[in-house]
Amino acid sequence: MKLATFKGGVHPDEGKKFTKDKPVQTYLPKGDLVFPVSQGIGAPSKPIVNKGDQVLMGQRIAEAGGFVSANIVSSVSGTVKAIEPRMTMSGMKVMSIVIENDGKYTPIPGLGQYRNYEEMTKQEIIEEVKSAGIVGLGGAGFPTHVKLMPKDPDAIDYIIVNGAECEPYLTSDYRSMLETPEKIVGGLKVMLKLFDNAKGVIAIEENKPTGIANLQELVKNEPRIEVVPLKTKYPQGGERNIIYAVTGRKINSTKLPADAGCIVDNVDTVIAIHMAVSETTPLMRRIFTVSGTGVNAPSNYNVKIGTSYAELIEASGGLKDGTQKVISGGPMMGFALTELDIPVVKTSSALTCMLEDEAAKYEETACIRCGRCVQACPSHLVPVKMMDAAQKHDMERFTALHGMECYECGSCTFACPARRPLTQAFKMMRQAVMAERRKKG
Amino acid sequence: MNGFFNVSSSPHVRSDESTATIMYEVIIALLPAALFGIYRFGAYSAAIMLIAMAFAVLSEYAFQKLANQKVTIMDGSALLTGMLVGMNMPATVPLWMPALGSVFAIIFVKQIFGGLGQNFMNPALGARCFLLISFTGLMSDFAVDGMSSATPLSDLAATGKTDLAATFLGLTNGVIGEVSAIALLIGGIYLIVRKVITWHIPVCYILSFVVFAIIFSGKGFNCTYLASEVCSGGLLLGAFFMATDYVSSPITEKGKIAYGILLGVLTGLLRLKGSSAEGVSYAIILSNLLVPQIERFTMPTAFGFEPNAIEGKKGIEWKHYRSVGILLGITLVSGLALGGAYQLTKDRIAQQELAAEAAAFASVAPDADSFGEAEALTAAIETLPAADGTVADGKFGKITYNDAYSAMDASGEVIGYIVNVTSGDGFGGDIEVSVGISVDGATTGLEFLTINETAGLGMRATEPEFKEQYVGKTVDSFSLVKGGGASADNEINALSGASFTSTAVTNAVNAALYLVQNA
Repeated sequence: MKLATFKGGVHPDEGKKFTKDKPVQTYLPKGDLVFPVSQGIGAPSKPIVNKGDQVLMGQRIAEAGGFVSANIVSSVSGTVKAIEPRMTMSGMKVMSIVIENDGKYTPIPGLGQYRNYEEMTKQEIIEEVKSAGIVGLGGAGFPTHVKLMPKDPDAIDYIIVNGAECEPYLTSDYRSMLETPEKIVGGLKVMLKLFDNAKGVIAIEENKPTGIANLQELVKNEPRIEVVPLKTKYPQGGERNIIYAVTGRKINSTKLPADAGCIVDNVDTVIAIHMAVSETTPLMRRIFTVSGTGVNAPSNYNVKIGTSYAELIEASGGLKDGTQKVISGGPMMGFALTELDIPVVKTSSALTCMLEDEAAKYEETACIRCGRCVQACPSHLVPVKMMDAAQKHDMERFTALHGMECYECGSCTFACPARRPLTQAFKMMRQAVMAERRKKG
Repeated sequence: MNGFFNVSSSPHVRSDESTATIMYEVIIALLPAALFGIYRFGAYSAAIMLIAMAFAVLSEYAFQKLANQKVTIMDGSALLTGMLVGMNMPATVPLWMPALGSVFAIIFVKQIFGGLGQNFMNPALGARCFLLISFTGLMSDFAVDGMSSATPLSDLAATGKTDLAATFLGLTNGVIGEVSAIALLIGGIYLIVRKVITWHIPVCYILSFVVFAIIFSGKGFNCTYLASEVCSGGLLLGAFFMATDYVSSPITEKGKIAYGILLGVLTGLLRLKGSSAEGVSYAIILSNLLVPQIERFTMPTAFGFEPNAIEGKKGIEWKHYRSVGILLGITLVSGLALGGAYQLTKDRIAQQELAAEAAAFASVAPDADSFGEAEALTAAIETLPAADGTVADGKFGKITYNDAYSAMDASGEVIGYIVNVTSGDGFGGDIEVSVGISVDGATTGLEFLTINETAGLGMRATEPEFKEQYVGKTVDSFSLVKGGGASADNEINALSGASFTSTAVTNAVNAALYLVQNA
C-alpha cells in the first residue's frame, strides 16, 4: 500500500530508541510549581488568585484574557507564593503564578467524576473544553475550544488526530497509543459528536506499528473512525502537511484547517479533551519525554504542568558530563535552553539533552546550489533564494518568495551540505516582516 | 556538567552530508570510467588525469592565498574539476595541456567569478572548450596504442553505423573518460542511488536527444543507431557528470526537466545538423548560460497557492514571457535557418560533387565518349583487399578502393577503366585520386577528388608538372625518386619537401593499376 504523505521533507535520525520502550511514570513535583500566564498562541491569561491564597488541585488560577486565550488550572494544592516574571523555555521572562506545593494534592470537589458526553449538548462540551484550559499540546498552543467553534460546523468533514510524532526523540504520543489508546478514541468520539458530517481519522507514522495496531483494534467497530498510516518523514506532523496527506487538500498560511473542512489536534490534546469532558479533569498534566545522548536515564513521564525541568532531569538520572545542549522540545524545532529552572508548560513536549551539538560542530561554507533545500521544503519554497533576500534584509523580495509560508520546520537547514543557517535567518526575517505589518496595522 | 550550555536557534541537528562528502561521492562515481580509460589508453592517461587534478588543486590554493581568501582545497571541488578536465582529453595530449586546462578552469571559470558556487558555467567544460578552440589538432588526436583511429561518433557520422557492443563496453576511441558507456552508467546510477543527483537532468537529456534523433536523423526508430548515438560522443559523461554540476544547473525540479530537454535538443541540433562532433560540450555550456532564466520560469508553486509561473508574482504576465519568448524565437529561427540552409544546399553540393567527378572522369580518360559500370572491377573492390595479401599487407599503405567504372568509345567498346582510390597517408588527411587506365595498361590520367595538403608543398601534387609524370606510361607500378633525376618510365620525381604526399599519390596510382591487373 502506498502510504499517505506529502512532497518534501527530510529523514533525521529518529532517536526514538532511547525512550520508546519506557512506560510512562507519574512524576510528582517536589519544588514549587510555576504557571506562566502565556502558554500558547493568543492573549495572556489574567491571574485570578493573589499572593498568599490557598489553591486546590484543579482550581482555576487564571482566566482567558480574550477570545483566543485559555484558562490556567493549578495542578497541585498549596499556596500562591508569588506572581512574578519567571524564565520560560523561549528564553524570555513571563509573568508567572508560583505555587508552593503542599504535597497533599487536595482536589476541588467533583474532580475526576465520570460524565457521559453523549448526554451533553454541543455547547456544554465546548464550554467544558474551554473551562479546562485546553490548548494544542503539540507545540503551537492554539486554544482548542476556538478550533471547535468554526464558522460553519457542518462544513467540517474531517477530524484528524495528529499521531505523526515526526519530531525526533519524542515518544510521548507513542506511549499514549500503547498505554491509553481508549482515551484517544474517547476524545475523538467527543469531537465527532460536535461535527455531524465529520469522519474521524487517526493518522500515525508507520514507524509506530504497535500504536497503529492498537488503535485499529479499538476502532474496528467505529464506522466513523479510521486509522491512516503515514510515511515516516519529517515534518509529517506539520498541520498543513498532515491535512494534505490525509485529505489531499492544500492550505496556505492565510487559511485555517477549517477552511479545508478539517480540525487537527494532536494525540495528547485529544486525550485532554476526553479527560475534561468524560472525566471532569481540566488540563493539569501532560505526557513528557526526557531523552537524548546527554541524559543518564531517558524516560517518559506523566508530569504536572508547572514542574521544573531541573526536577525532571534529576529524576532521569541527571545530565552526563560534557552535555553540550539541552533543548526544550525535539532537535528540529525545539528551543535550546540557557538554564534548567524552567517550568513545564502546556506546550512543552520533551527535553532533548545532546552530548554533541551538531549545530556548533560544523562551519558554514559557500552554497553550491545543490537544491537539497528546495527538495526538503514541505511548503515548496526555494530557501536558497529566500536566503539571498534575508541576507540583504530585503523584506519585499522575501515575502514575494512566499517567505511567510515558512513554518520554521528546519528541514532546509538540516539538509544543507554547506551548513548554512537558513531557518535561523528566516525566523528573523519573518519576525521583521510581522513587526512591519503590525506597525502598518 | 559545567553549567553552560550551547544556545542556538533550531534546528539542532544536521545531516551527515557536506560539500566535501558530495564531491568525493562524485569522484568515486567517476572512478569506473577513469580506471577504464587507464586500462584502455595506458598509464600515460593516468598521468594526464593526475596532472590535471594536481594543477586544479594547486591553482585554487595559489589563487586563494594570493587573494587572501580562506583556502578551501579540502572540499574536493577543485580535485573533481581537475579530474573532469583530465577525463575530457584524448590520451595523446602533451602533459602541459591538462595543466593549462585545469589552471584555466579554476582561475578563469571558477575563482574569477567568486569561487565555489558562483561560476556560471561548468569549469571543466569551459576548459575543454577553451582547449578545443585553441588546440584543435591536439584535442582531437585520438589514438590507441599509437594507432590513430576514428571515434565511434565520427564513424557514425561518416558511415551511419558503428560497433555498438564495442562502444558500450568502451573498446573504442575518444577522450579518456568517455569511451566506456557501461562504466559511465555504473557511475551515473551510483550517483542517483546515493541521492547525489536526481534522475531529472540525465533522463530528460537522453530521452529528448533520442526523440530528436528519431525525428531528425532520417533513420527513424532504429534501436542500434539510437543506442550508438547515446553511448558515444561523451553523451553519458555529459548527462550524468557534467550537466548535473550543481552550480551551473537549475535548482528547481521543473527547471531540471526543462534544462534536460534543452540539452537534448541542442545536442541533437549540433550533432545531427551541425558539422561539429562536439555537441555535448557546447550544448551544456550554452544551456549553463540559460539557467537563471530557466529558474525564473520554473519556480515551484508554494504549498497551498495557485500555480504561478514567475517567482513571487501573482498570475502569469506576458511581459515575463517576452524575453524568453524572444530568445527562444531567435534560437529557433537561427536553428531552422542553419538546418534549412544545409538541406537546401545539400542537393546542390551533391550535384557539384557529381559534376566534379564527371569532369575528373573526362580528364583522366580523355579518349572516352561515355562511362559505364565495370562489373569485374567493382566485384574485385569487394574481394581483393581481403583476399589478396598484397593489398592487406599494406604494400600501398593505407588505401581504400572506392569505386571503378569502365570508359567506352563512341561505338560503346570498352577502351579503359577509371578507379577511384583513397590513400590515408596524406600529410593533411585523406587523398582521393581518380586514376584512368587504358585496356592495354597505360595510365591515361589522374585527377584529385579530395586533397588537403600543405599549400606550396603537398598541394603541388595537383599541378600538371607532377601529375603528367604518370600519364601515357605503361608500367606495372611506379616508384619514387627523391632529389630529381627520374629516368626510367616507372620512375617519378618526388615533390621536394612533400614526401608524404608523393608517396600517398604514387601508392594510390599503383593500387589502381594493381586492381586493373588483378581483377
